[in-house]
Amino acid sequence: MTMHTVLAQAELMGGVTLFHYLFVSATLFALGVVGFLSRRNLIIMFLCTELMFQGAGLALIAFGRYWMNPSGEVFVIFVLTVAAAEAALALALVAYLYRRKNTLDAESWAELAG
Amino acid sequence: MTLFTLMLIPLAAALVVGLSPARQAKWIALAWTTLALAAAVFAAFRFDWANAGTFQFEASAPLLPSIGVNLAVGVDSVALMLLLLTTLLGPLCALGSFTAVTERVKTYYAWLLILQAAMTGVFVARDLILFYLSFEFTLVPMFVLISLYGSSNRRYAAIKFFLFTFTGSVLALAGLVYVAAVTAEGRGGEWTFLIEDLEAGARGMSAREQAWVLAALLAGFAVKVPLFPVHTWLPLAHTEAPTAGSVILAGVLLKLGTYGIFRFVLPFVPVAVVEYAPVIAVISIIGILYAGLICWVQTDVKKLVAYSSVSHLGFCVLGLVALNMVGGAGSVMYMINHGLSTGALFFCIGMIYERYHTRSMKELGGLARRMPVWAFFMVFFTMASVGLPGLNGFVGEFMTLLGAFQSGAYGMGPGSTIGPLGPWFAAVAATGMIVAAMYLLYMVGSVVFGPLKEPVHHHDHPVLPRDLSARETLVLTPLAVLCVVLGVYPTPALRALEAPVAQTIAAAVEVADYARPVVTTLRDTNPDLRVAQVRRPGASEDESP
Amino acid sequence: MGEIANITLAADTAAGAAAPTPWLLLIPLLPLLSAVLCGVYRALGITTKLPGYTTVLLLAVSFVVTLSGYLSFGGHGVQIVHAFEWINISWGDGPGQSFTANFSLYIDSLTWLWMLFVTGLATLIALYSTEYMADDQKTGAYARYFSFFSLFVFAMSCLVMADNLLLLYLGWEGVGLCSYLLIGYHYGKDSAVAAAKKAFIVNRIGDLGLALGIMLAFVHFGSIEYREIFARIAEIQTTVAAGGSVAWQIEAIPLLLMVGAFGKSAQLPLYVWLPDAMEGPTPVSALIHAATMVTAGVYLIARFLPIFALNPTALAIVAWVGGLTALLAATIGMAQYDIKRVMAYSTVSQLGYMFLGLGVLTAAGSAYHVFTHAFFKATLFLSCGAVMHGFAGQLDLRRLSGLGKIPGWRVTTIAMLVGCLCLAGFPGTSGFFSKDMILAEAFVTAGPGYRFLGWMAILTAGMTAYYSFRVFFRVFLGPVEYHAGEDHHGDDDHEHDDGHGHGFHPHAPGWAINTVLLALIVGSLAAAAPYFIDKEHHGWVGGLVHGSTAGHIVTPGVHTDAEHAAEAAEHGAGFFDDPHKWMYFASSAVGIVGILLAWVIHMTRRTSAASAPIADALKARLTPWSTLAEKKWLVDELYDALLRRPLKLLSHIFYLLDQFLVDGVIDGLGALPRLIGRSLRPSQNGVLQSYAVGMGGGLAFVLIVVWVLS
Repeated sequence: MTMHTVLAQAELMGGVTLFHYLFVSATLFALGVVGFLSRRNLIIMFLCTELMFQGAGLALIAFGRYWMNPSGEVFVIFVLTVAAAEAALALALVAYLYRRKNTLDAESWAELAG
Repeated sequence: MTLFTLMLIPLAAALVVGLSPARQAKWIALAWTTLALAAAVFAAFRFDWANAGTFQFEASAPLLPSIGVNLAVGVDSVALMLLLLTTLLGPLCALGSFTAVTERVKTYYAWLLILQAAMTGVFVARDLILFYLSFEFTLVPMFVLISLYGSSNRRYAAIKFFLFTFTGSVLALAGLVYVAAVTAEGRGGEWTFLIEDLEAGARGMSAREQAWVLAALLAGFAVKVPLFPVHTWLPLAHTEAPTAGSVILAGVLLKLGTYGIFRFVLPFVPVAVVEYAPVIAVISIIGILYAGLICWVQTDVKKLVAYSSVSHLGFCVLGLVALNMVGGAGSVMYMINHGLSTGALFFCIGMIYERYHTRSMKELGGLARRMPVWAFFMVFFTMASVGLPGLNGFVGEFMTLLGAFQSGAYGMGPGSTIGPLGPWFAAVAATGMIVAAMYLLYMVGSVVFGPLKEPVHHHDHPVLPRDLSARETLVLTPLAVLCVVLGVYPTPALRALEAPVAQTIAAAVEVADYARPVVTTLRDTNPDLRVAQVRRPGASEDESP
Repeated sequence: MGEIANITLAADTAAGAAAPTPWLLLIPLLPLLSAVLCGVYRALGITTKLPGYTTVLLLAVSFVVTLSGYLSFGGHGVQIVHAFEWINISWGDGPGQSFTANFSLYIDSLTWLWMLFVTGLATLIALYSTEYMADDQKTGAYARYFSFFSLFVFAMSCLVMADNLLLLYLGWEGVGLCSYLLIGYHYGKDSAVAAAKKAFIVNRIGDLGLALGIMLAFVHFGSIEYREIFARIAEIQTTVAAGGSVAWQIEAIPLLLMVGAFGKSAQLPLYVWLPDAMEGPTPVSALIHAATMVTAGVYLIARFLPIFALNPTALAIVAWVGGLTALLAATIGMAQYDIKRVMAYSTVSQLGYMFLGLGVLTAAGSAYHVFTHAFFKATLFLSCGAVMHGFAGQLDLRRLSGLGKIPGWRVTTIAMLVGCLCLAGFPGTSGFFSKDMILAEAFVTAGPGYRFLGWMAILTAGMTAYYSFRVFFRVFLGPVEYHAGEDHHGDDDHEHDDGHGHGFHPHAPGWAINTVLLALIVGSLAAAAPYFIDKEHHGWVGGLVHGSTAGHIVTPGVHTDAEHAAEAAEHGAGFFDDPHKWMYFASSAVGIVGILLAWVIHMTRRTSAASAPIADALKARLTPWSTLAEKKWLVDELYDALLRRPLKLLSHIFYLLDQFLVDGVIDGLGALPRLIGRSLRPSQNGVLQSYAVGMGGGLAFVLIVVWVLS
């Protein structure tokens, strides 16, 4: 791929380059990581993982578009589907855990401590 | 095929036991082990005793042909004798467990039979992998027998037994595989695990390699024997094991260690054996006296006999490293004899335990008055164990001591042989005879003789002070008869041992003969020295730089 | 002239094998058969006297076979009877490259001497036992007793008739086993069990020396068969006679063998088991612990005297050990009150004489003393046994008196008197002649302090006369008084009420006991007769010894024939120069003085069994020595403190070490993986976010590493 085609694509995307997409993606991911590590609420933590997911998904779509290769988008569609199922399962588990201890604090669940 | 049959009979029996109702289990086990015994006796009759050093009934089936693993079997007289001992103890153990085991009967007899198959495998194997598989597989049934049917502390004992011996065996495997690798190298990359090939291939090892292989092999076999510092699993395992387990443990499983030394250590690493024999002998002698004295302060009869095994097997190893005919043949005889007399002692103690549910010498005494027949057998087997001439124990004990005495008694007369030990080794080891008399008579004196002392009656353990039943007498009688026969007329057995022992020690004797004075210095100046060089007299010194 | 002058270099012992006579195998096999039969009787629960009579019959046949074998033997040479191969193995064809220990008999005149009195006395004592042990018929112990008894005779025959050292060792340990079983016959008694154990273990210490001696002999000679050994010895003797030296291995062999002999024959320092062995039934004490088994050590040394003679140090040790044992045991015997113990110590003491005799190279004297001692000591023990049997186990000489005056005890009294006279060496009795031979030789033979030893032995002879008649005067003479013993034969199998209370009536010996005692009285007296047969070799026994392997000795550098003759010529052969002449008078004198002393001390003004005024006064004057002697010089306590206890302590330490150090190290190694795991465990705190940090950090770390590396 030559410099010419890259510039042509940038033109096509209205001046928004791959870098912008990747920046947003990295920001989303970093927000997710920080949120996951700093928050104790299980639901928030779960939402943070979703955020990381979306960051990664955005990067995949951006690369797919960039390389004009549809597998990136296909991959994201799969990930979204799986994530939906996983979200249902995870929320169910969170609800279950909440019922057991009446709290959503992640640190109250440390039974696996060695 | 005879030998495969011998392995398959107990395996098939285990299957039959598994599929049959529980109350028939003991009879099936008895019948099939008797069948195995009959087969072994049949084999013994067909065995060509005049060529006892040649492996007979050889058969082979490929297992993993690509790396040269075969199910190769064959026996010489040493293996056959140990095989006979194994198959003899089979039915006796089954018969001896009739009343001792009443729960989970099927599991018990099935594992007992599998154990017998594994032990048979060890003795018939002519292929290293088959040997090692069987060798290791004996651990599993024994582990189950101890952990399910043992006494109070059985789990700890079973785990310790398993891990201890397993760890040693893994090291031994490393050594054996190293020999196989050297062999394969010598054959241009063609792998083989046939023991005779390995024996030839092991000649390619340098003295330094041999020393390491010796250390690895001893790590495995010494734990099994067991030699002095690595013996602590044995008293524990014996104390916790059910009677039949103890009988097999003392009768056969310990012999796997000495058999391993006989079959692998002596022929594979002759230079290292010659060099380190005095060290091994000293360890054995320490074991003889140390364990003997410990026996003297035991209050648990079974533990006493267990420690006495440590002491006795020291003689066995001493005879092996004497590297002469008398010591070697004496050692093999010792293996058989110890199996008979100590096995029988464990039976006797088991019979007491069944009646009184205690083995403490503080609670038992003067039982001769209550059970004269039992007392007769107990004293009889004790005397066999003490090494009274005319009974079997003496033959092995005297010969191993004489072997050690002769070995390396250079210039003392025509009866001396070339070897690494000498009269002092024999003199110190022989004090073990006194120690043995001390602890065994202490045991007999307090349990069999003296004023009658029985434990207080417990409601949950009804005391049954009856003398031996016909079944129990039947268990002990064959052992007693064999003790007398092997004590009075061991010559045929000894004659049959001449050839295999001569073959086994040949390489080591040659090394001792030619290179004993120079091998140490040679190795120091030339670490890559090959055994083949050492064994050629004169040539070695010229060739080495 | 002593044996030392009888230098014979002939090696004909090895060559003179006669025609095979397999029927001689019956001598050991009949007792074995008897043992087996009695075992079967025991198993069948037979409670009649059948076991006893079977034993007597078979032993009697064995004796007859021995006697006819001896009569057809013809005086000299060796018969070798081969039965079967016992332990044989070979590793080459050269000399010494095979180990051969057959079940074969080596029969020469020394063998005959021993076998004649072993089988003869065994038959008599078995007959005595049929009555003595009759109380145990009900329990089945009767059959057990006779089974062990016969087994003993079998083992003793193996010992004496063996054609190789290993078969001798079989007999050696075999008699030890029977001794163990018979001492512990009353196994319900702790003291009997302890005594049996002690006997076996102390003997094992000796056996260790014997076993090592056998090994050294094998390594040095290349064979343990007598034929081969004596052929080799003859070669060595030739070298020595030609002025050659003896290899140190040869000198070591007797030093090892003698340890075995000291153990079996109860010599210093291993004599302690024999007095305790009196826990066994009295016939057993008579046969095993007086007449036969304990002379095995004498037999061993006599058999191998040619090897001993090659090492003057070994001979000196044997002589000194013998002399000291004789003296020490006599001092203890003088102070004991249990008459059986007195007899036991007198046995130790007499065995000491025999060793002294061997040490001063009069094998003939020793063997003759063995022979006479077998008879008179059996007589003494069986008389004691009769007393014990009749008085419900009473053996204390302070509680028995004047038995000679009770009707029915005449035979016993005479037997005791004859036995004591022989033991005391009263002129004309058998013990007198045999003891004289040893005493005289001690003055003839050159050796370190042998003359002093001789005087010591004469002193001991006086003490012997004193303590034997002390028993006789106290128990059989004096006022009639008796107290029943605590129990019957010490057997707690059954209670004997008749042994207690005022209604006690001693039951006098029956026909079997009296017959045997009469036979033994005759035997003891007649044992003097052989002294006058074959005077050239110091009597019939001397002739037998001379014709055996013991007759061919060469002593390096000590005394040669020529020197001896020269010495004799120099000093002249006056009365005081030949101890054989003046010894008759010297030993008669000390013997009679001893007896008279016993009379004065124990018979003067004696009014009751318990007190003899002079004896009591003397005892009080001699404290603490008399008390110490009564307590056996505390030797047992000394051994206990110096050997047994430290060893026991060591064993306990070993056991602790084993449990905590050796096993601890092993368990420690086993715990190593667990320790590693434990140290890593805190990182697994269970907090979700710390795992996430770990994951993120790990990922970052990997990325950085990859970035740096690329």
